[in-house]
Amino acid sequence: MSRPQALLDALQTTIVGQREVVEGLVLGLVAGGHILLEGAPGVAKTLACRALAVALGGVFRRVQFTPDLLPSDIIGTRIFDQRTGDFTTSFGPLFANVVLADEINRAPAKVQSALLEGMQERRATIGLQTHALPSPFVVLATMNPYDSDGTYPLPLAQLDRFLAKLVVAYPSLEEERTIVDRFGGAQPELPANVASLEDVVRWQREAQQVFVDAKVRDYAVDLVRATRGAELVAHGASPRAALALIALARARAYVEERPFASPDDVRDLAPAVLRHRISYDDRIAIADGDPEDVVQRIVAAVRAP
Amino acid sequence: MTSPAAKWLCFALLLALASQAQAQSLRRLHVDALSMRADRTELQVGQVFHLAIHVRVRENVQALDELVIPDLGTMQSLGDERHTTHAPGGTDVVETLTLEPTASGPFTFQPAYLDAVDARTGRPSRFSSNAVTVVVAGPSLLDSFAAQLIAVIERGALAALGLIVVIVLLTTLARRVARRRRRAVKPPPAPAPPPPPARTPRDVVADALRGFRVTPSAAQLLTLRGALFAAAGVSSGATLRDALAHAPDHRLRVALIAAERGAFGPEHARDAASMELVEATEAWLR
Repeated sequence: MSRPQALLDALQTTIVGQREVVEGLVLGLVAGGHILLEGAPGVAKTLACRALAVALGGVFRRVQFTPDLLPSDIIGTRIFDQRTGDFTTSFGPLFANVVLADEINRAPAKVQSALLEGMQERRATIGLQTHALPSPFVVLATMNPYDSDGTYPLPLAQLDRFLAKLVVAYPSLEEERTIVDRFGGAQPELPANVASLEDVVRWQREAQQVFVDAKVRDYAVDLVRATRGAELVAHGASPRAALALIALARARAYVEERPFASPDDVRDLAPAVLRHRISYDDRIAIADGDPEDVVQRIVAAVRAP
Repeated sequence: MTSPAAKWLCFALLLALASQAQAQSLRRLHVDALSMRADRTELQVGQVFHLAIHVRVRENVQALDELVIPDLGTMQSLGDERHTTHAPGGTDVVETLTLEPTASGPFTFQPAYLDAVDARTGRPSRFSSNAVTVVVAGPSLLDSFAAQLIAVIERGALAALGLIVVIVLLTTLARRVARRRRRAVKPPPAPAPPPPPARTPRDVVADALRGFRVTPSAAQLLTLRGALFAAAGVSSGATLRDALAHAPDHRLRVALIAAERGAFGPEHARDAASMELVEATEAWLR
């Protein structure tokens, strides 16, 4: 009977710095959602995802999204077996507990849709048969914000399916020195089997029981509604954002072994929930504005209870 | 050498010569009418009336300066207009006097007259009008009484007005004097009471705690939480983390965390959280 805090501590011993990213991954796992990671190459996005999968002891699959990728490469396909003379199902990498969709914006829309449909429905149809995806099932997708040539930006409706978007920043000087020391030689072993898949399912179930006071709920709703009509925002977040915010607040309270979600949970997690659910006005490019600043301003403008 | 008979002769001669000279200066007129009339013959003192003298001659004349109006006596003349109207048969001259009697009693206007050579006879003649009598009554008792009453009232009003003015002036003067005296004897202002000591955040928390103890409602709990936040140095709208970042005092931090649990925790845990909040707040206040 492991606790999420143990998983968090284990990941923190592997990943240098990036505490918010590591915490976000665990919270996404506990909340039963999918996480989008955005960051420059080499900032441990993939390592963080792999460490999470290893620590859980589940099935981990990594898919490098490229322009020539097909939906069957993600979901799977039916293959004719010459020995038996029958078709057998070959499951794609989507059938895993932790799926790392690396550079998801480099695959065409058809592949993105196949992945996102599986994320939403938690099942995939191969041929005529529909198969449930394993549980727990979490997709960790990465995006490189710099190389935009030859990419297929995800539509807002598909981005909305990610519970949170974590921004993986460059490490600090000290953290970078530690990274060099730790990963400069032989690759260190990742902590394995810190928690079982059953533990994760239990976490998800128990986290849903965390109490959310009406004032905290209202605060989350107010934050989401504040994105609509905010300056430099073309389209605000959907009600799904409020659901995601509450789910993550519950997960955080659960991870911290607190029986209730607090305004701090909502306020801290709001940027991760809102930043990819907002489409920005064209003026933001003209003004050389930072979308992150817009989100921070929106969060700061709403009074906590 | 002059005898009395000669003197009388000379006098008669002179008189005849003078009469001849006067007759030669008179105009020759056919006087058809000469009358006088008052528009009212019974009136009172001060009541204005008109006296009209009408002369009609056959000749076409521009004026009749020969017309002599009667003596007006005690009548006060307010106006004298003379109108001359020419017609094919002669000339009408009307002189209208506007008069005001100043004394009571009957008054007779003697006839107006006109000296001229009567064209009918060729002799100098005096043409006279009729006399006119008016009876002027004194002021009536009622009018007299009313006049006296009005006069009394006027005098009374004037006296009252004067009295009021005097009273107002005296009052104003008395007030000014009193004010000056008051100023002169006004004691120096007592020193202002010292302002009440400023309420400290602890006072506010203590009050909120008392309120929460009396009525342990959710609203009172939020009030206490707000007071604790203020004591920590953060305003409303901040979160627990903001407050904890500003609250180095361990006991205050415990109270803040207990308030958070009481405000946002599940219902079944709120009683315990409330007790913990009260204890932690009391500990901090001590």
